[in-house]
Amino acid sequence: MKSMYIGIDLGTTNSTIASFDGEAVNVIANPFGENLTPSVVRIDPRGGTTIGRRAYRFLESDPLNTRSEFKRLMGTETKLEFPMAQQSFLPEELSAQVLSSLLSDASDLLGYQPKKAVISTPALFELPQNHATVQAGKLAGLEEVVLIQEPIASAIAAGWRKELGGMWLIFDLGGGTLDVSLLETKDERLRVVDHGGDNFLGGKDFDNAMVDWALAKLHEQFGLSEVRRDNPESRSILNRLKAACEQTKIELSRVQRSMISVPELCRDAAGNSVEVELEITRADYEALIESLVARGLAVCLALLEKAKVTPDEIIHVVFVGGPTLTPLLRQRIGDAFGGRIAEGIDPMTIVARGAALYAATAGLDARPNEPAAQQPAGLAVRVEYPPVTADAEPFVVGRFIPGPDELLPAKVLIKRDDSQFSTPEATVTAEGTFVLQLQLQRHVRNLFHLSAFSETGAPIPIQAPDFAIVHGVSIADPPLSRSVGVALSDDTVHVYFKKGTALPARKTFAHQTIRTVVAGSAEDLLSVPIIQGEFHRAHRNGLIGTLTIGGVKQTLPAGSRMEVTLHLDRSGQMQARADIPSIGQSFENIVHILVPTATLETLEQGLASTEKRSADLLRKGFSSGEKSAVKILESVPGLMLEARRCIESARGDDPDAQQRLHRLLNEIDSALDAAEEAFEWPQLVNEANEQIQIAMAWVSGWGTPAEQRLLDQAMEKASTALQTADALELDRQVKSIKAVTLAAVNRNPESVYYDFEWYVENITLATDLPRATELINKGRGAASNRDRDALRAINRQLYPLFPGTEEERSKSYGSGVH
Amino acid sequence: MPEKNLAAENMLRRHLANPFLVLSLPVDAGIEQIERQGQKILMMLAAGMSESASYETPLGTRSLSEELVREAIAELRDPDRRLIHEWWARAWRKP
Ligand SMILES: Nc1ncnc2c1ncn2[C@@H]1O[C@H](COP(=O)(O)OP(=O)(O)OP(=O)(O)O)[C@@H](O)[C@H]1O
Repeated sequence: MKSMYIGIDLGTTNSTIASFDGEAVNVIANPFGENLTPSVVRIDPRGGTTIGRRAYRFLESDPLNTRSEFKRLMGTETKLEFPMAQQSFLPEELSAQVLSSLLSDASDLLGYQPKKAVISTPALFELPQNHATVQAGKLAGLEEVVLIQEPIASAIAAGWRKELGGMWLIFDLGGGTLDVSLLETKDERLRVVDHGGDNFLGGKDFDNAMVDWALAKLHEQFGLSEVRRDNPESRSILNRLKAACEQTKIELSRVQRSMISVPELCRDAAGNSVEVELEITRADYEALIESLVARGLAVCLALLEKAKVTPDEIIHVVFVGGPTLTPLLRQRIGDAFGGRIAEGIDPMTIVARGAALYAATAGLDARPNEPAAQQPAGLAVRVEYPPVTADAEPFVVGRFIPGPDELLPAKVLIKRDDSQFSTPEATVTAEGTFVLQLQLQRHVRNLFHLSAFSETGAPIPIQAPDFAIVHGVSIADPPLSRSVGVALSDDTVHVYFKKGTALPARKTFAHQTIRTVVAGSAEDLLSVPIIQGEFHRAHRNGLIGTLTIGGVKQTLPAGSRMEVTLHLDRSGQMQARADIPSIGQSFENIVHILVPTATLETLEQGLASTEKRSADLLRKGFSSGEKSAVKILESVPGLMLEARRCIESARGDDPDAQQRLHRLLNEIDSALDAAEEAFEWPQLVNEANEQIQIAMAWVSGWGTPAEQRLLDQAMEKASTALQTADALELDRQVKSIKAVTLAAVNRNPESVYYDFEWYVENITLATDLPRATELINKGRGAASNRDRDALRAINRQLYPLFPGTEEERSKSYGSGVH
Repeated sequence: MPEKNLAAENMLRRHLANPFLVLSLPVDAGIEQIERQGQKILMMLAAGMSESASYETPLGTRSLSEELVREAIAELRDPDRRLIHEWWARAWRKP
């Protein structure tokens, strides 16, 4: 059985599955012989499920029990109802049904159910949506799911090669949305540099343009004035007309003239049956869609401008999605980019093809594990190698797994099957492992053969000595879209994973508890809030989960050491664990990051709070005269107005308006966030200056030359950050400066007295006043005896009692750690 | 300024995970070398080679994990972050 790699395009309207056997990519057809399976699920009154083309037929006649477009809700907790069967499902559960149907088509062809696959997701999907997609794959019986961004899959299928250099533009126009992505190879890896799009431009709009034209003709010919878009009674008539228009639209991509025909559309005023037979030429149609095409082009140009790229720098345009088969569109976009269009690729299946090719890169062989009985004779060996790599001279690592009476080989070597290359002989370690470096022929599949020899040079037969490496594309790991960290009790953030971190990732840091947790109590709980966002103040970031410490076996005094480990897997599922060594207890939680559900009610609340926040900030902006903040706020009133208009239409049951509102609110929020950052900037600058002064004093007095050097470098970077007004960078440098200062401070034997003085002065901030007073009294004694060690020990006990102010703590999601 | 041993400890933790230390590479290593070395260590880890289980730091041997290696590669791919790590790696190495 050959290796087999599976790629799936889980689309909003249609889904596709493709396979790659190392040589050719094939799109797997469904039982209707179609490459596209509608992403539609229907559940009948008896609970029976139909998926794909069969379900699609019920979209019209039984819309309540037939669901489509659930991809738009991935990652939310919205349950979709099937009233007749009295059941409801999460979007990922419905996606799992579609995946199962695709996988069973693959199984019919391959003779086994694929176990691993690559599934594509839009470039703008964030962690929760990606996680839901992986979840859908698991529910459909896949053991391993790897995601790929749709534009990257398209580029791979279109033969992307780093040698070609430059940037590619992926133009993906689907049924309802346009996604445009700029791709580039950087550091040997293909990645999405930037993306843009229009959530309200797609094939449907092309259909509607033709429907409007047809309606005008029908009014002329038959006087059907009551057939209008805003008349609920004409809905079914319009739907039939729309279906006919879509058909005609698709024909006009191929031929110059066609007919919109609907037999017995309705009855006219005189009661006669209306037979629609409207001839339309491609030129007529093109006049109708000219402005839609112009909008698509404008999105591309806006994206280029944002990324500071000129059209000349785009060396390739790749078209994805059904509507890109429209000749006018291909021509207009092609003209704007000097005709550099990737030709000869089916835009409907390109994403699934690319995903299948990528499955080989990710080493995701879809075959089920072979039963042990079929294993061939010879010494077992496990060879680790990259199935696809951009490196022409990769390493491979192997390990022999000898049976009870088998001996390890002494030497190994690997030959390429074109006999143009062989490694030197390498020694096998006592563990049975070896490392060899290969040479690949570029852009082809390279076959290799591993040989093993005994001490005397006699060949030793091995199981499965052959393997293949394709020289090709490497892809950047999906980056984290926003930083993740722990909120501390003083309303600051301890960042665990910075934005842009490649997943998977795991980190452990040490914290201290800020108050006592009583043993055996179910109520006495300590929270470790986990947050996501870029702000310095914890409360400004979003809470994504909480680790709760409770039911401790032994009373946990304030100041206990706690090690927190966060682990994010590739799909964005996070595991959080707290270890408390002093009592030997661990606490775990799995955190699901969710996309906030956009029900009308939550949106209305969102709008109200955004309105309040923007009013506050505008007032603050004008009274403080902080110019940069005021400038940022300029766009807000216009956006608010549009949002208010949207909520009106959304109340009138327009789902598109609801989505648009969701996006608008996000846009307004990020403008307000930016303004708030700008307000905080002067404070940040003050803090930085103060810190620099303290650092200079301490480091020049007590620092080592190395610390002095570090401080100089950090100060230089901080001053650049000050000039460029880069808040994040400034914050980072201030942290480095603090660390260097700390090292110097601790070298001064007197510092222990200064620390103690600080506690005495700030005693009112202590969380446990009696205990703090007691410690301070003890400390006074130690200080007057000039007993530094005793005082240091007391300081250490005082530290956790000063976790920041009450206000900061409650703001910081009630954090119980420092 | 109160004593902040934890802050120092956490800082140390970050710096002992310096990508150049993790990958045992010089600070002037090119991106191809970084990718190749990273993949090599990942494969050695997957094969369970004991040689790959740890790496050297100025404060002694620390254990390696797949995440640590992946993160190190990713950090060095980003030119801005790489600069910061180069800076710390130089500070570590020169006494
Ligand atoms: N030959 C054609 N010419 C013009 N339009 C076409 C053609 N074939 C299909 N379409 C249109 O393409 C649209 C569907 O495209 P597609 O299947 O790529 O969308 P999608 O599944 O919504 O996309 P995504 O996978 O990005 O979610 C429909 O509007 C359909 O009418």
